[in-house]
Amino acid sequence: MKQHLLQVFLYELRRNLRRKGFLFTTFGIPLLAYVLFFGYQIITNLSSQDKPAADPAQEILGSDQFRTLQKAGYVDLSGLFPRPDEQLGQILTAYSDETAAAAMNTGEIDVYYVISADYLETGDVTLVMPRFSLGQTTDAPIRRLVLNYLAREVDQDLFNRLLNPANIQEINLQRDSTGETASNFDTDFVVVYVFALALMLSVFITNGYLMQTIIEEKETRLIEILISGMRPTQLLAGKIVALGLLGLLQIVVWVAALLLLANIATGNAIPVLASIANISLPLDKVLILLLYFIFGYLFFAGAYGMVSAISTSMQEGPQFAVIFTLPAVIPLYFLAIFIESPDAALPTILSLFPVMSPLAMVMRISITTVPIAQILLSLVLLIALDVLMIWMAGRLFRVNTLLAGQTPKLKDIPRLLRG
Amino acid sequence: MQPETAIRVERISKTYGDFRAVNDLSFEVYRGEIFAMLGPNGSGKTTTMRMILDILKPDTGRIEVLGGILTDATKDKIGYLPEERGLYRNVRVLEMMEYLGTLKGLSSNEAHKRSLALLEQLDLADHAKKKVSELSKGMQQKIQFAVTVLHDPELIIIDEPFSGLDPVNTLALKDLVMAFRAKGGTVVMSTHQMWQVEEMADRLLMIHKGEQQLYGPVEDIRKRYALHAIVVEGQGDWAALPGVERIETVENGRKGTLLYLESQTTTDDILAAIATTRNMSIERFELAVPSLNDIFIRVVEEHGQ
Repeated sequence: MKQHLLQVFLYELRRNLRRKGFLFTTFGIPLLAYVLFFGYQIITNLSSQDKPAADPAQEILGSDQFRTLQKAGYVDLSGLFPRPDEQLGQILTAYSDETAAAAMNTGEIDVYYVISADYLETGDVTLVMPRFSLGQTTDAPIRRLVLNYLAREVDQDLFNRLLNPANIQEINLQRDSTGETASNFDTDFVVVYVFALALMLSVFITNGYLMQTIIEEKETRLIEILISGMRPTQLLAGKIVALGLLGLLQIVVWVAALLLLANIATGNAIPVLASIANISLPLDKVLILLLYFIFGYLFFAGAYGMVSAISTSMQEGPQFAVIFTLPAVIPLYFLAIFIESPDAALPTILSLFPVMSPLAMVMRISITTVPIAQILLSLVLLIALDVLMIWMAGRLFRVNTLLAGQTPKLKDIPRLLRG
Repeated sequence: MQPETAIRVERISKTYGDFRAVNDLSFEVYRGEIFAMLGPNGSGKTTTMRMILDILKPDTGRIEVLGGILTDATKDKIGYLPEERGLYRNVRVLEMMEYLGTLKGLSSNEAHKRSLALLEQLDLADHAKKKVSELSKGMQQKIQFAVTVLHDPELIIIDEPFSGLDPVNTLALKDLVMAFRAKGGTVVMSTHQMWQVEEMADRLLMIHKGEQQLYGPVEDIRKRYALHAIVVEGQGDWAALPGVERIETVENGRKGTLLYLESQTTTDDILAAIATTRNMSIERFELAVPSLNDIFIRVVEEHGQ
């Protein structure tokens, strides 16, 4: 009996490991990232060799536009920046308090900044924009203005230091202390957030394969030959374990590739990658990520197992699967709330609710110190749901359902579950 | 001597909701024979086969296979070719055969060797590394049968093995089944092709609406349904023979004249009358035994569709 499970496991492992889609998503995507990264490096190096060494101050001040804005205005209440020079004036215009809003309304400028009277002491600047846009929340125009007025005449070394004031090395007390610390949106979040996304992606990909193999066996009627020699649940279990292992492999490859790339990129032009290289993911977080991967995977394995048992075609299966996948990614819609207040009611509830907890809790853990009781409760609820889902998949994954030529009606499902 | 039993089915019944698929069915299959299961669509043949294979459990009754209740070990001695059979389409032939072989208890090495040998025997060795989807339908059917017998089973259960096959592949598959039986294997097969049963099967079971209608050696059943008539070919006025009630021209198959005899007349009487009557010559003289097809239709009509 165990022999069959092992044989199914080994076969599914071999078969799916050679799947083009799996090979591409597991190895191809990191490879593509490497190609893009090194391609970017080579092109940058080549173009910098062609040009004479530029004055960094001129480089900054001389570019045609800001990265995310075409043209900006400013209202100077400090009196420090009366009017930009001709070059900067093409992209940044001074206005009085009254005319700035009108200029924005007519589309003359995209946004405008109000520089406070005590700017030198406080650094307070108000950004006024017609509607909220994440891409326009940039301080680049003010930086240029400051460099243009206050740093034009300074020494070259000092100017370079002003451009790049600090190479920060992080010491995160939150990792080493069990006490309460303020919640921080630090670079850990980027890493763990990427891991959380990778985790969910891997769960969806591998469970998609699970569904695909089962429905293929149903469509070709090979399932009848298979279950004439073993129990249907053995078949399902062998597949679940094999594809779960492949999902883990996929995550390990992605993480390893990302960390390697980050190490290569240290001190490089891509600051996010460079900052990732400085981060060592604490073991307890890795363990929690692993637990949420395993139990998150099992939930979807049960869900996809159920869907496969009742679906009769590859067109039908994914349609049913959306019932489970859509709620799972709901935490992503509330990303802003997670970042602003990770311990608020909504993030807390979502991180406890089993379907959403694999994503929500991992996101919270990356930002704040989640009480261990909440993590345990969340895991217990998730495991309870896993047991329920696997049990239901086992009930549906039976001969009568598997050999039926048509999809059961919704009202038949309780009867099928009861057996 | 009593033949050894391969399958013993005792009073099994199976109900799906309100529909009784199989009702109080009993029969035996002997080792080394080809046993045919006949019946119209939905008569309960496939359900019965699935119960023999332990894919479905009977509601009542008992089934013994190869000497006892079916166990995992016994399952490895059975090969099954379902009606709506399929293969992994995007998997290489050899790899798929090896996997299905290991599921039937073969070691990987053994499954590999036997798969290659079988493919060689079926003239498919050149296709071992091809994907199933690259093969013709006929080739796929041969591969399916090869998978059924790969683990050298004692018993194979094949559901409608000839459906959808062209005459050439039908003959090829028939030869494979006969070769399996010649080596001592037991075959249970269901088919709608009555002439295949007449040619291949030793005994048959006919089911209708889940119940047994006919059961026994094929020849015995045909004789049981024989008419009180003879078929003749030759020259002469057949209707004028004493003891002949009426005559009919045989239209289907080999041409001839069907002589219906009066109840007290025997075939010997007719043969003697022909011999003594002038201007009569005879080229063929045989009992009018109906084909299985005729019997099948008659039984179904008698019991209502």
